[in-house]
Amino acid sequence: MRRTAFRLLAASSVLWCALGSVAATRPHYGGTLRVEMRAAPVSLDPTQEGAAPEAAARVKLAPLLFDTLFTLDAGGHPRPYLATSATVSSDGKSWRIDLPAGVKFHDGTPLTPQVAAGALRAANSEWTVRAERDAVVIESKSAMPWLPAELARPRYAVVRRGVDGPVAGTGPFRIAEWVPAKKLVLVANDDYWRGRPFLDKLSVELGRGLREQSIALELGNADMVEIAPEQARRALEERRNVALSAPIELLALVFDRSRSAAANERLRQAVGAAVDREALRNVLLQRTGETSGSLLPNWISGYSFLFPPRSDMARARQLRAEVRQPPAFTLAYTAKDSLLRLVAERVTLNAREAGIVVQPVAGAGPADIRLVRWRLASADPTVGLMAMAEALGFAAPRGDDPEELYRAEREVIDSAWVAPLICLPEAYGIATRVRNWSLGPGGSWKLEDVWVEGQP
Amino acid sequence: MSFRRKFLLVLALSIVVAVGAVSSAVFWIARQSLERADNERATALAAQVEREFARRGDEITRKAEAIANSDQTLRMAVSLSRPGADPALYVNAAAAVAQEQQLDFLEFVSADGKIISSAHWPARFGYSDPALRKPDSDKPFLNHEELPDSVALGMFAQRAVAVGDKPLRVLAGQRIDRDFLRSLVLPAGMRVLLYQSAGPGFSPGELVDGDGPVAGGDRLAGFVQQVQRGADATTVVEWSSNAADSEAFRAIPLAGAQDRPLGILLVGSSRRPLVELARHIGTVALLVTGTGILLAIVLSGWAAARVAKPVEQLAVAAREVAAGNWETQVAIASSDELGDLARTFNQMTAELLAQRDRLVQSERVAAWREVARRLAHELKNPLFPLQITVENLVRARELPPQQFEEVFREASRTLLAEIANLKTIIGRFSDFSKMPKPALRPVAVNELVEGVAKLFEAQLEDGARRIECRVELDPEAATINLDPELMHSALSNLVLNAMDAMPGGGTLTLRTQQRDRSLRVEVSDTGAGMTPEERERLFTPYYTTKQHGTGLGLAIVQSVVSDHGGKISVESSPGGGTIFRIDLPVDAKAVGASAGARSGL
Repeated sequence: MRRTAFRLLAASSVLWCALGSVAATRPHYGGTLRVEMRAAPVSLDPTQEGAAPEAAARVKLAPLLFDTLFTLDAGGHPRPYLATSATVSSDGKSWRIDLPAGVKFHDGTPLTPQVAAGALRAANSEWTVRAERDAVVIESKSAMPWLPAELARPRYAVVRRGVDGPVAGTGPFRIAEWVPAKKLVLVANDDYWRGRPFLDKLSVELGRGLREQSIALELGNADMVEIAPEQARRALEERRNVALSAPIELLALVFDRSRSAAANERLRQAVGAAVDREALRNVLLQRTGETSGSLLPNWISGYSFLFPPRSDMARARQLRAEVRQPPAFTLAYTAKDSLLRLVAERVTLNAREAGIVVQPVAGAGPADIRLVRWRLASADPTVGLMAMAEALGFAAPRGDDPEELYRAEREVIDSAWVAPLICLPEAYGIATRVRNWSLGPGGSWKLEDVWVEGQP
Repeated sequence: MSFRRKFLLVLALSIVVAVGAVSSAVFWIARQSLERADNERATALAAQVEREFARRGDEITRKAEAIANSDQTLRMAVSLSRPGADPALYVNAAAAVAQEQQLDFLEFVSADGKIISSAHWPARFGYSDPALRKPDSDKPFLNHEELPDSVALGMFAQRAVAVGDKPLRVLAGQRIDRDFLRSLVLPAGMRVLLYQSAGPGFSPGELVDGDGPVAGGDRLAGFVQQVQRGADATTVVEWSSNAADSEAFRAIPLAGAQDRPLGILLVGSSRRPLVELARHIGTVALLVTGTGILLAIVLSGWAAARVAKPVEQLAVAAREVAAGNWETQVAIASSDELGDLARTFNQMTAELLAQRDRLVQSERVAAWREVARRLAHELKNPLFPLQITVENLVRARELPPQQFEEVFREASRTLLAEIANLKTIIGRFSDFSKMPKPALRPVAVNELVEGVAKLFEAQLEDGARRIECRVELDPEAATINLDPELMHSALSNLVLNAMDAMPGGGTLTLRTQQRDRSLRVEVSDTGAGMTPEERERLFTPYYTTKQHGTGLGLAIVQSVVSDHGGKISVESSPGGGTIFRIDLPVDAKAVGASAGARSGL
C-alpha cells in the first residue's frame, strides 16, 4: 500500500508544462514538433549500450519508433502493450507471450513471432526464446517474476533487424531522415495499430548544447528542449514552460572495489558522511531534486525514508580520525558534464573539511571513487535496482518482494560501497503551442498523444 | 742564446703580452659594458614588471569597482540583505560577471566572510576565502588563490557594496601566469620566468615562461631555493656544454601580504653576446698575436742585420784580440752608436798595438839594461881579480925572479880560474839564449821523476846535512808527450834549488798527481821558504838570492814548462818550506801549440 501510495505521489509530482489552454483547444492532426537534444547518438538500436547521455537518448527516442511487449502504467505496474496476454509457468521460469495479429512494421511487413523472438534474443542472450504460432516463449534457468516489467524497457522493443541493425519498428512514427548524431526526422505512422499520432512530423536536432536549446526555445525555433535540472528553477522564475519528471537520475559516489584506497569501510563511510547533500541540492541544484540516502527514489521503492541522507561532518571527522594515514582518493567524473564537475569539486571540499584528501579527476580513467549519474532503467523497483546493481557492481536482489529489495539496498548502503547523494528529475522546456505533452513513469516521451497549435 | 734569438723572444713576448693585455682590457671593458647594459635592461624590465603589476592592479581595481557599482550587484546586495534571503540564487552570478569583465577570479562574499558565488571555484560557496582582506583594504594585492586542482598566483582587488549593515564584498582578480609574462615587452635576448609556488622546495612544473613549463627547469632548483631562503638573487645557468647557451638570472621575489613570498620572477639574460664577443676578441687576439710573431721574426731578422751583425762582428773581433790578434779591425757600417762602438773598438785595438809596441820597446830596453847590468855584475866580479892579478904581476916584475916566478904562477892560476869563470858565465847566457825546442815523445812521468830522485840520491846524503827524499807517485799518472831531457833538466834544477834551501837538512818530496786534464808534479822542501817579494820575482831571469847564482835556473824551468804547454806555480812562506807545482797538459796539441808560440816569439 505504501509503495503504491508513493508511486501515485511520484506520478502526481510530475510537473506539467503550462498547458493551461489544453481544454481550450481540441486535438487535431498535423504539424511538426521540433525537438532538440544534447545527446548525439549515432545509432537508434535500443539494445546498444553506450555512454550515458546517448543511451538515455535512445531510451527516449525508442518508444517513438518501436513498441515493447509490455509497458508500465502510471503506477509503475507492467501492463501488456504489444502483447495481447501472457502466461507464466508454475515455476516462473517460462513465459508465453501472445502476439496480436495484423500489426505491421513500418516497411509493411507483418509482425511475426519469429521477428519478435529474434529481437528478444538480440536483447538478452541468456534467455531461451522461441517462436510459436502466435506467441513467443521465453525461458530462463531461474524464475523471472519481473519479466513483464523487464520487457517494458525500450531495449526489449520489437525490432525487425537487417544486417546493419534495426530497420523497422511498429511504433507511432517512422524514420524519414536519419543523420547519425545530428538529425532525426520522423513522420507519423498512418497504419499505427493504436491509431495514427496527431503530429505529422517530428524533427529532432541532436548534439545541441543546453544554451543553444534555450535560445532556440526562446526564439521559437524549437518546441521542446532539455533544461539542466539546476537551471529549472531559474527557468521557472523566468516564467518559461518547464516540465519536470519525477526524480529519475541518481547522483552517487561509487567506490571501486578493486582499489586498495577504497578498502577501508570507515573511510568510505567518512567520505559519504562528509558530503553536504543539502548544500548540493539547495545551491548547486537550485533546490531541484531531492537528497538521497537510498539507491531508489521513494516514489519507486516506497521505503526510501528508511535511508535518511547521511550528511554529518562531525561523524565524518570522527571516522577519519579512527584511520591512521588515510590514503588520498581520486574522484573521477564525466568531463563533459558540468554538473558532475561542480558536485565533484564540492565533494572534494567537503572531504577536505573532514580531513580526507580527494583529488577530482575528469575522465573515465581508473579512480578510487566514481561520481556517477545513473538514470534509472525502469520505474519498476526490481528491474530498476537489478539494472543498477549490474551497472554499479553490487549484489542484485534475489527476488521482487519489497523486503528483498530493501535488504539488498541496505546491504549496499551499510557497506558504504555506494554513497547516494541526490535524485534528480529531468527538465524540459516546452513551447506554448505544444498540447497534451506528458511523460511516461520512467521519463519516456509520450509524443504520440501530443498535438501542436498554429504554425511554427 | 744568441742576441738574435733573445731579441726574437723578447719581441714575441712583448707582442703576446701587449696583445694579451689589450685583449683582456678590451674584453673587460666590453664585458663591463655588456653587463652594465644587461643590468640596465634587467632594471628596466623589473621596472616594467612593476609598472605592469601596477597597471594590472589598477585595472582589477577598476573592474572590482565597476562590478561593485553595477545595478546587478546592487540588486544582489539588496536581495541578500533581506531577512530569509537565499544566497543559493546567486551561486552562478560570479561566473557570468567574471566572463563579462574578463576576470580570472571573482567572488561575491557575504558580510560574514562566506563565499556566495565563486567564478573560479563555483563549488566553494559557503566556505570562507582566506584571501579576503579587511573591509577597508582598497589596494590591490598579490595572493595565492586555491583552485579545485591547483593553486594559482593572482593579483586581486576587493570592494564592498554597502547595503545596510551587511555589505556585500566583491573580490576580483587576474592570474599572474603565462599570459602575464607574454604581456611583457622583452628586449632581445631576455626572458622572464615565473616560479609560482610559495612552498618550500622546488617543483619544476611551477616554473613557466610565456610558452609553458620551462624545459630543464631543474637547473634552476638550487637558485630558486636560495632565493626562497633570502640569499643572493643572481646566478648563471649553463643550459648546455656550449657556454654561449648560458643565461644569467636575476630574481625578483613577489611578496604578498606581510611580505610573505608568493612566487619568484626570474629575469633571464642570455650570455651569448658576451661569450661570442669573448670568442671574437680571442680570435682577433690570436690573429694579432700570430701576425705579431711573424712580424717579430721579420723584425728580428732586420734587427740582426742592423744590430746583431755588427755586434757579432765586434764579438768575433774581441775574441781575436783576446787570442792575441791585436791587429783585428771591424768594418764601420753605420754612423750610429754601433758605428761609434766599432770605431772605438778599432781605436782600442790600435791603442793596444801601440801600447804593446811601446811596452815591447821598453821591456826590450829594460831587458838589455838588465842584461847589461847582469853582465856588468857578472863580468865585474871576475874582472876585478883579473885586474888585481895583472897589477900584481906588473908590480911583481920588480921582484926577484924567484919571487916573481911564484907570484907569476899564482897569478896565472888566478887568471885562468877567472877566465874559466867568465867562460862559464858566458856559457850560461849562451845556453839560455839557445833554449832548444822540445822533442816530444810519450814519457811515463813517474819513471822520469824516479830517475831524477835516483840521480840525487848520493848528494842528498852528502856531508853533514841529511835530506830525506820522499817519492810519492800516483799509479794513475798518465804517459804524456814531453821532451824527457828538458823536463829532467827542469826537475833537476828544482831539486837543486830545494837542496840549496835546506843546508841543515830536511825533507825533499817528489810527487805526481793525475788530475782531470793535466798531470801535476810537485817538488817541495822543508827549507827556509821565501818572502812574498822573493816569490814574486822568482821566475825573473837573472834574479837570484844565491851568492853565486845567475838567476837563470828558474827562468829556464819556467821556459821548459811553458814550452810543454804547462804551468808552474809556487807556494811558499818564510820558514814554511816551498812547493813548486808543475801542471802539464795531457793533451799533446797544447804542448805543440805552446812550443810553436814560443818559437814564434
